[in-house]
Amino acid sequence: MITAERLTKRYGDKTAVDAIDFTVRPGAVTGFLGPNGAGKSTTMRMVMGLDHPSGGRVTVNGRAYRDLPAPLHEVGALLEAKAIHGGRTAYNHLLWLAKTNGIPRRRVDEVIGMVGLDAVARKRSGGFSLGMGQRLGIAAALLGDPGVLLFDEPVNGLDPEGIRWIRNLIRSLAAEGRTVFVSSHLMSEMALTADHLLVIGRGAILADTDMSDFIARNSAAHVRVRSPQGGVLAEALRERGWAIRRDDDGALLVDGATSEQVGDVAGSRGLYLHELSVVNASLEEAFMRLTADSVEYHARTDQPVPAGV
Amino acid sequence: MTTPTTLSPPAAAPAPRADVGRPRLTFGRLLDAEWTKIRTVRSTVWTLASLFVLSVGLTALICWGVAGELADDTAGEPVGAFVTWGLMFGQIAALVLGILVASAEYSSGMIRTTLAAAPRRWPVLAAKTTVLTAVLLVLGAITSTVAILAGNFFLDREGIGFSLTDPDVLRTMVGGGLYLAVLGVFGLALGLLMRHTAGAVTVGIALIFIVGNLVGLIPGATGEWLTKLMPGNAGTTLATVESFNPDLLGPWTGFGVFAGETALLLLVAGWLFSRRDA
Repeated sequence: MITAERLTKRYGDKTAVDAIDFTVRPGAVTGFLGPNGAGKSTTMRMVMGLDHPSGGRVTVNGRAYRDLPAPLHEVGALLEAKAIHGGRTAYNHLLWLAKTNGIPRRRVDEVIGMVGLDAVARKRSGGFSLGMGQRLGIAAALLGDPGVLLFDEPVNGLDPEGIRWIRNLIRSLAAEGRTVFVSSHLMSEMALTADHLLVIGRGAILADTDMSDFIARNSAAHVRVRSPQGGVLAEALRERGWAIRRDDDGALLVDGATSEQVGDVAGSRGLYLHELSVVNASLEEAFMRLTADSVEYHARTDQPVPAGV
Repeated sequence: MTTPTTLSPPAAAPAPRADVGRPRLTFGRLLDAEWTKIRTVRSTVWTLASLFVLSVGLTALICWGVAGELADDTAGEPVGAFVTWGLMFGQIAALVLGILVASAEYSSGMIRTTLAAAPRRWPVLAAKTTVLTAVLLVLGAITSTVAILAGNFFLDREGIGFSLTDPDVLRTMVGGGLYLAVLGVFGLALGLLMRHTAGAVTVGIALIFIVGNLVGLIPGATGEWLTKLMPGNAGTTLATVESFNPDLLGPWTGFGVFAGETALLLLVAGWLFSRRDA
């Protein structure tokens, strides 16, 4: 369980994280979604006690990170691929780390096996590929068998096989009852792994919602229809109680209707149609809308937005 | 490389657990971890090897070269300054090792792993300092002892060798270890302050080995005292049987000054370390 209360980080007069509140619960994957520079990494570093908050507080299992009696037994983190001295072997990296928290040596071998680095464990990590480095970072995170895990952009730069592996790993860790907090700037990635979604933009929480709610609200399809008699058609559609928006090229976007219904309305009035199609809104677009400049975001009230904004 | 797609189940249930009976962070564990760190990178081996080889080799070389002249007393040089002559060069390795202990954590980004495992920063710094001090104390004492033995071998052949039970010789054998240990800690503090290897090495070498000689050019008592008090000058007399510069502070007084300066720098570095974001 991670709890942030009015958590704030300022660098000079720039506010990177602006008094955010959130809770990351056990037994689920909480996605931390936001564009680059939104404050995701800064927030995660504050959770880990690496960066000092300018205001507010954040606790892990009810305690500030620095007050944890043996942090690796409670929290595991993959903060960035490169938090490893390249001159040291993977085994020795995990060994010194294990020693800080009194973790037995056999656990080092165990986690090396879990992430599939057995063959290269005695090689210096400087020669590791990005994917191998990521696996080593994950081995380090799992070392203390912690109940809380943080992954900062875990799939960045990985090949498809590595991405699938990490996804499965993250899902299985949450299924075991652990608290899993994963950041990403990719909506599509979050849609596949997260149960809960925290959207952050410009240091503020823009959405705190269940992934399924977010999908239901934002993946609703609409019908796109283009007619030379657009004005008449729009009037006819409005009479049926459907919300109409105009696209840039003059086409009508109809929410809440099927293409059959729209076509029937046009037919019954004898109107010509030049185009009739169903458009599936993408989650990526919904996310882009959310995290676009907040002024622009508030101005566009016609867009579906998730609860909790 | 094998790539399992699922994990073996964890050894224990991940539900919230009581702290009772579970490992805690202790200073002993931090020492063990820092010892593991320092012995598992090749840079340690290389710096310590060059410390030994430069110190002993150059001492032997100069003593072999000048023993004859010294015996004829035509040079008018202090004989005791030659038996640890190579340490002037070897000591750079001790400084660099100290710097690397701190700066390598920053250049690699590993400092975040370190502080995630041990979030309280003063104990981390204390563990690093202790391990570094112990390593350099032992290796420094061995190095200066072997250097003295090697240099003295050539001086002995010309009949101007020292008795190995001479108090100043014994003091230098131990003093070499003490001086190099404190010099390493000086480097550690510098590396932690600057968080950048090349920068810290440049500043360290300039401060200890160049500025220390240049301040003597300042005329009058100011220059004289600055020369006495510069960290390298103050500390080095403990690690020589007899100094080239008779105006420097006595061995133990000088070492006290050097240790004090280093402690101050370490405190400043530690204070910043505890406040800065990692």
